[in-house]
Order: sequence, then C-alpha cells, then structure tokens
Amino acid sequence: MKPINNRITGLALLALLLCTALLSAKLGAVPISLQEIKNAFMHLINGNEIIELNERIFLQIRLPRVLMGIFVGAALAVGGVLTQALFRNPIVEPGLIGTSSGAAFGAALYFVLGATFGSNWGEWTLPIAACIGGTVATVMVLFLAQSKNDHRRGVASLLLSGIAINALFLSGVGFLSYIARDPQARSITFWNLGTLSGSYWEALYIVLSVTSICIWFSLRLAKQLNALMLGEQEAQLLGINIPQLKLMVLCLNVIMVAVSTAFVGVIGFVGLIVPHFLRMIQGADNRFLLWGGALLGAWVLTASDLLARLLLAPAELPIGIVTSLIGVPVFIILLKRTNYLF
Amino acid sequence: MKNSTLLLLISLVASSCGRFGNTDEKTDSQERIVCISKQYAEIIYALGAQKEVVAVDLSSTYPPEIKALPTIGYHRALSTETILAMKPSLILHDNNIGPEHVVTQLKELQIPMKTFGNYTPTIAGTDSLIREMGHYFGKEKQADSLCVKLHKEAQEAFAHSKHYTQTPKVLIIHFGRASNIYLVMTKNSTAAKLIEWAGGEMAVDAEKGMKQLSPEVVAAANPDIILLTDFGYDRLNDGKEIDKLPGISSTKAYKNNQIYRIEEHDLVYTGPRTGENVLRIQELIHPDETH
Repeated sequence: MKPINNRITGLALLALLLCTALLSAKLGAVPISLQEIKNAFMHLINGNEIIELNERIFLQIRLPRVLMGIFVGAALAVGGVLTQALFRNPIVEPGLIGTSSGAAFGAALYFVLGATFGSNWGEWTLPIAACIGGTVATVMVLFLAQSKNDHRRGVASLLLSGIAINALFLSGVGFLSYIARDPQARSITFWNLGTLSGSYWEALYIVLSVTSICIWFSLRLAKQLNALMLGEQEAQLLGINIPQLKLMVLCLNVIMVAVSTAFVGVIGFVGLIVPHFLRMIQGADNRFLLWGGALLGAWVLTASDLLARLLLAPAELPIGIVTSLIGVPVFIILLKRTNYLF
Repeated sequence: MKNSTLLLLISLVASSCGRFGNTDEKTDSQERIVCISKQYAEIIYALGAQKEVVAVDLSSTYPPEIKALPTIGYHRALSTETILAMKPSLILHDNNIGPEHVVTQLKELQIPMKTFGNYTPTIAGTDSLIREMGHYFGKEKQADSLCVKLHKEAQEAFAHSKHYTQTPKVLIIHFGRASNIYLVMTKNSTAAKLIEWAGGEMAVDAEKGMKQLSPEVVAAANPDIILLTDFGYDRLNDGKEIDKLPGISSTKAYKNNQIYRIEEHDLVYTGPRTGENVLRIQELIHPDETH
C-alpha cells in the first residue's frame, strides 16, 4: 500500500478527534445541548455564576473528562511508539514491560499506606508514587531481561520478564486491596479497571502539562529512533549516543504512562494497537508515528470513553473493558496480517 | 483478583439491566429524591412517603414494589451522571457510598445531600431513626405506629429467647455474585445482633462485619444451623448444592439438614420489621422450642 501523505492523514485524524470530542461532550447519561455548552462558555468568560445544572455538569464533569481522555490517550499511544521503537519490536507496549502494573502498585500503596508515610506533595503525591512504582517495575524487567552471555536483550526474555514482574506487582495490588479498609479498597478496585469518570481540573492540569512536555521531547528524538531501527551498532556509527537515547526514551515513557495511570487507572491496548495501525497505513517513520500516534491515541480513548458511557446508559462501564474489547480483535487481525514490516 | 472484580462488575451490571430500564414515571412531584440506602428506602415506604422517591440503589429491594423504580446502580460503584440523569433535588445516603470521586463531584455540583442521624443497630436506635425520618417527611403518626409495632414484636422475641435452653451456633453465608466465593457474616455485623436477639450465636468472629473466610475456619466452627441469603440459595439450586461449597458438608447443620433461605434485606440492617424478622429467625433456629 502506498503511504498517503502524512499531512493529510494528520489533518483527517485531527478532524475526527475534534468531531468525536464534541460528540463526547454532548452525549451521556445527561444529554447536553450545544446551546448549553455555548452558554456555559459565555458564563465562564463573563465570570458570571452558573446557575443551570447542565452547564455546571458540562464544565465540572464532562469537559475535564473529555480533555483527560484526549491527553491520556495521546500519552499511552506515544508511550507505545517509544517502547516499540526502542526495542525494535512491534509487540512491546508499556503494559508489557511492567510500567503500568508498577504504577498501579505505587498508586495502590499510596491509597492504603499514604497516611503512614506522612509525606505529602498535594495533588502531585499520587502521580509521584505511581512514577516511583513504574520506574521500579520497568528497571526490574530490564535488569532481569539482560542476558549474561551476550549483551543483546532478547525480546523473548524481555517479554517473559515482563510477565513475571507484571504478575508480581498485580498480586501486590491484590494484596493491598485485601488488607485495605473499605473506602480505600473501593478506590483501588475502581482504578484497577480504568475509568475517566473521576477526572477533575487539577488532575487534568497535571496530566496535560506532563504529557505535553514529554511528547515535545519525544518528537525531538524521532530522528535518532529512526536511526536506531537500523540496529544499535549502525546507529552508533551514525554518531548516536545509544545509552543516553535509551535512558531518555525509558524516562519519558515511564513518566507519561505512570502519571496517566495514576489518575485514570490501568487502560490497556491503546499503546499497542495505535502504533501498529499507523505503521500499517503509513510506514515506520517515527517522525510521523509520534505525533500521528498522539492524535490517533487521543481519538481511540475519547471514542472508547463515549462508548463506555453510552452502551449501558445511564449505567457506565469501566473504560478498560471497552479498550480491551476493541483492542483484542484488532490485535489478533494485525498479528494475522504480515504484509507490513517494522 | 482483577478477573474476579471484572466478573463481579459485569454480573452486577448484567443482573441489574432490567432495573436500569425501568421508566421514571414521576414528572410533577416537587421533591425528586434519589435514595442510596436500603435501610432508608424501607423506612420511607413503611412511612408511606415514597411519592417523592424517583430512584434507588440496586441493593434496595424491600418492599417488592420498590423494584419498579429506576435504579442508579450499586451503591459503592456509583456514577455521577447516572445519578444526575434522574434530576435529583435531594440525595439521601447513609455514608456507605462510593467511589470517593463521585461524592466529591456531587458536592461540587451542589446537589443537596442528606444523611439522617447515625444510630446504633439496636431497637432504641431504630426507633430514633424511624422517628427522625417520620418527622422529616411529616409522617409522625405513621412513625409512631411503626415504632409501637417494632417494640411489641421485639419484646415478644426477647421473651421467647429467655426460655430457650440451647444457644445454637448459626453461620450466615452470603454466597456472592462472584463465582465460588462466599462471604460469612461475623459477630461484628447487624445480622449478629438479630441472631443474638433470636437466642442464637454467630459461629465465626472477625474484625469486619462480612468476611471471606477460609473454608477450614468454617468447618472448624461447625455451626448447628446455616442461613443462606436469597441470592446464593436460589443460585445453589434451592440450597441443594450447598455441599459444593468447601467446608460445608462436614458441619452439623449440613448433616441435620438445617440449612435455610433468608432474605438479605431482613438481616443486614434494622428497620420497622426487625422485631418480626427476629421472630421468624427464631422459628428457624429453635424449631423445637418455638411457641
């Protein structure tokens, strides 16, 4: 298949994302009309107090939720592009190398024992705890995957170590929710399946700033990642500092994924499917994959959240269930088709 | 752990689909109350104040006609928009609701929320709650007659208990909706109070009111009587398949065929029918001595 012009694909994705976001802002258990959305913004700009309930619902619940979906989706997809490029393997994603489960454990630890530690950085405490957990788990996986005989990191050993470490940290989360007191246990359960329904502005500001900064840094690494696709030695000959590049990519990935996970829980498959799909239609140029992935990831999560809200309305499904339901069949189809190369 | 939570949630949602589909038939009532407490819901109906209630949580199942109301889901897995879709002017809850972020969002949207006094699960405490709610809804008279009935039946039950020569050990199993897990109610639960009033004692003790216990502890407790809550009893083929639960078949209760069905909503909170429920429990656990 001849790749379509990257700009056109990008514009199409952006248009799709905007339409879906608008739809997502309107639809839900409580339908909100365009007029109400307009009024809400007018009130906000004029600084009036908002009396209409639907306008308040839009500004305090719906809007942060839709925006959260966009930024978390972008973060997860870019995380996927980065890890796949780094390991030169299309079936690696942040969830498989322990980052998500480590972050989940860090956050659960904070929920249950947070008060005991006595440390408090306000809104940042939870994401920091998740980052520490994500870092520890990722480092453990990389360390275990390092073979003694040769310095190549076998992908098989990477994935197997990932399975082991994931199991370890998820049982850690299970243990914590078992010993947790009631409200804490409820938070852990909710958050284990992933949901955007708890989004609020302060959380959004954190995710927004961290994701934007990390994506900006990632875009600067695109050319080096392209060179890395030739192989480590070849990239080194092109003058790329491999250990530094690896460290940068891993740090960006852990920070983005852990901060998102801290607020919305574990959401699978976005980081795996999005880069896969884009690579299939547009080829493996990381210069496009990074920002294209951000757009497509944002769209996938926004659309999934919309489905999660509409399928059983007025009840709501955890979003992790929706992304898995969509992600698994797509993943299987992609695995069966081998007519594209990494 | 993740899988069982998933199963639990899916089955909860699936089993409740029917009630989510109920249509809201109230349009012109002044107050629109969403009641997220099974205890409050039963008292509201007993007081005859249900006119303003537009939706309840999934666990509110008494009286039977309450099931015709729309539901907003499981009280610990609420969703803000599901509640708001009922256009509530007041949310009644007993502080046993979650997740936390939903409560925060409702507060931020300034939806009025009310909790009645936190009374002990005793006859006196129940009396106070019924009277407080009766006053709130302007139904003092009904509240008074409910309390009179409550005290009369409770006194009758207490009088029976004094004459019993034996104190049977009772195990209450809340066979859950997640596959093959069963929860056991402990001495720290409201159900334990009811059993104590009925002249029995709980077979197991633990810090939490309800606990997932090792089958070995259950077997060692060797209860004389097993009460199985409605959902589990029906699912275990009218209790006939209870021997499939580990640890059960070696108990005295199983050998003597003393396993009974009991409605969950008769056990887990106190209310206007508590005296009546204790009398009924007495018939089950003191079959030879009931008058």
